[in-house]
Amino acid sequence: MADKRINIYIGATSMRTCLGDKAKTLAAMNNSESGLKFAAGFGMHVGQSDVKPIDGYTRFEAMLIEQLDNVLEGAKIALSNKDVLLVISTTKGNIGLLSGNSDDILEKTFIYTSAQVIANRYNAANNPIVISNACISGVSAFVVAKELLQRGEYRHVVIVGGDALCEFITSGFASFKSISPQPCRPYDAERDGLTLGEAAGAVILTTDAELAEKPYIRLAGGAVSNDANHISGPSRTGDGLYFAISNAMNEAALTNDDIGFVNTHGTATRYNDEMESKAVAWAKLDDKPTNSLKGYIGHTLGASGVVEAIACIEELKQGEIFGTKGYTSTDTPFELKLSANIQPIARKCCVKTASGFGGCNAAIVLDMMERESVPQEENRTSRLVAEYRLPDSEQPFAEFIRSEFKSFGDSNMKFYKMSDMSKGLYVAVERLLAIEGLEEIEQTRRAIVLANRSASLDADIVHQQILDKHLPEGASPAAFVYTLANVAAGEMCIRHKIQGDNTFFIENEDSGLAEMYARNLIEKNRADAVICGWCEYLKGKWNINIKLFKNN
Amino acid sequence: MEQLIQELKEHLIEELNLEEITPEDIDAEAPLFGDGLGLDSIDALEIILILEKYYGVKLANSAEAKPVFQSVKTLAEYIMKNRG
Repeated sequence: MADKRINIYIGATSMRTCLGDKAKTLAAMNNSESGLKFAAGFGMHVGQSDVKPIDGYTRFEAMLIEQLDNVLEGAKIALSNKDVLLVISTTKGNIGLLSGNSDDILEKTFIYTSAQVIANRYNAANNPIVISNACISGVSAFVVAKELLQRGEYRHVVIVGGDALCEFITSGFASFKSISPQPCRPYDAERDGLTLGEAAGAVILTTDAELAEKPYIRLAGGAVSNDANHISGPSRTGDGLYFAISNAMNEAALTNDDIGFVNTHGTATRYNDEMESKAVAWAKLDDKPTNSLKGYIGHTLGASGVVEAIACIEELKQGEIFGTKGYTSTDTPFELKLSANIQPIARKCCVKTASGFGGCNAAIVLDMMERESVPQEENRTSRLVAEYRLPDSEQPFAEFIRSEFKSFGDSNMKFYKMSDMSKGLYVAVERLLAIEGLEEIEQTRRAIVLANRSASLDADIVHQQILDKHLPEGASPAAFVYTLANVAAGEMCIRHKIQGDNTFFIENEDSGLAEMYARNLIEKNRADAVICGWCEYLKGKWNINIKLFKNN
Repeated sequence: MEQLIQELKEHLIEELNLEEITPEDIDAEAPLFGDGLGLDSIDALEIILILEKYYGVKLANSAEAKPVFQSVKTLAEYIMKNRG
């Protein structure tokens, strides 16, 4: 397989945001109309979607099903075909169903159960792949889909992403004091926080040009990185996001001259936008028209990467990009080419980015220039160099993990603040790397790929129990931050300076997906060392079984 | 004041999960953030919750927080001045 050239084309797309369906959302963005409104129930501005209920399905599931119906109706691609894969992107799935009583966990609060319910509706031939990587989940879904299509096992991927707003989520962002009292104003000097939104979107990716939408738009590159700096605060240098952008552009074999515009995450928190300005400038894209769409639809979490990529696709076709709603002038360290008004673009190729809790970043390149993809490098091999399973113990987890940690003679004060799953992973990774370390591996070439069943349910229950007390001072940010499974991976990135790919999959049981994906990263020359495996912790029971692969 | 400082240290240890640290280990006048206790921006948000929960004191914004968050002593002084 020397010259393996696989072009990945965009097929049908669909979305629903607080502005309505795809046509209405795009029309509103063209007219600079925002869908963000004050919602008394949440005590904040939000962009709420109008979701048609479907009998037997939750609000979250109904949101995703509507989008899947839209892209699959009349398509020549069906999920019941063996060469079609469903990839689901969500941060919290049905978390609104969670109660603080840990003896009473509804089956549907497990993200994968919900994913299977959706897949079954379409008689899916393959088990769906679920990505829960905080706020980069949607962009991350494109990167994972690309990797799997390039491997040739599937010819088409249907990506669907979404999150339903509920108090669990709004209270957590409020505890971080990151919610703006007004509709958010990305990059503006007066910006004072984000606005949450609710959306779902679906995109078909196909390697078959016959089935692609015209004009052809290719997913030309994509990469995931980590700041290895802090689990909630963005990098102060922008290095992580820069690595994701430059790796995505390298894969596409494009330089900054080829890029027509950048669509950033642009949440409108002080530090996120500051960080992005540095990363975009570092990538020498600060002279390209740039926008954030959060002022129209809010931060739509697991949907954001998907619905914003769909907007990018339409902007490429239109030859101009939507204004950044709420923007007048900036005070970010580097000035990006932003405008409240529509901006023309000189090249029909764009970079879409996202950044999220756990220090993760992702970038993809979408190209309408009728180029071909570059052949994939595939002559590398991956080698298992270490393996470690956190042993069972008669002791309760807290005592067990404390004595394990103390045995390292480690004075890391952060350990005791971590969620139990993170603590378990911390100890397991210390032991794994004691067998063979990462010293000789450059930071950007280190990666971590994990999977589990419960996502962060154990930490979710802690946050929910705080909410159930209805405290006047609100939720705890220290508890909320761990309600994303990938934050445990983020802790490892900080500890071991892992700045390459960091992807978290949710599955029913360990199918070997994390290991396959990890080895793929090495074999395709995206990383030189990857920690991977199963990382499960729920209600005092654990199963943490990890491996280290390196390039031969 | 001394009693408030002692109590505040205990709350910090409890709420910020500062295991292995005793109140005696915390110098009331030493910088709260930085190397010593390994506190970060999430801890800063948690300290705002401590002020509200135990003392009914609210910090309006982060600009106001900076001088107040210098040390345990400046926190105690702020509580003395602002508690109802």
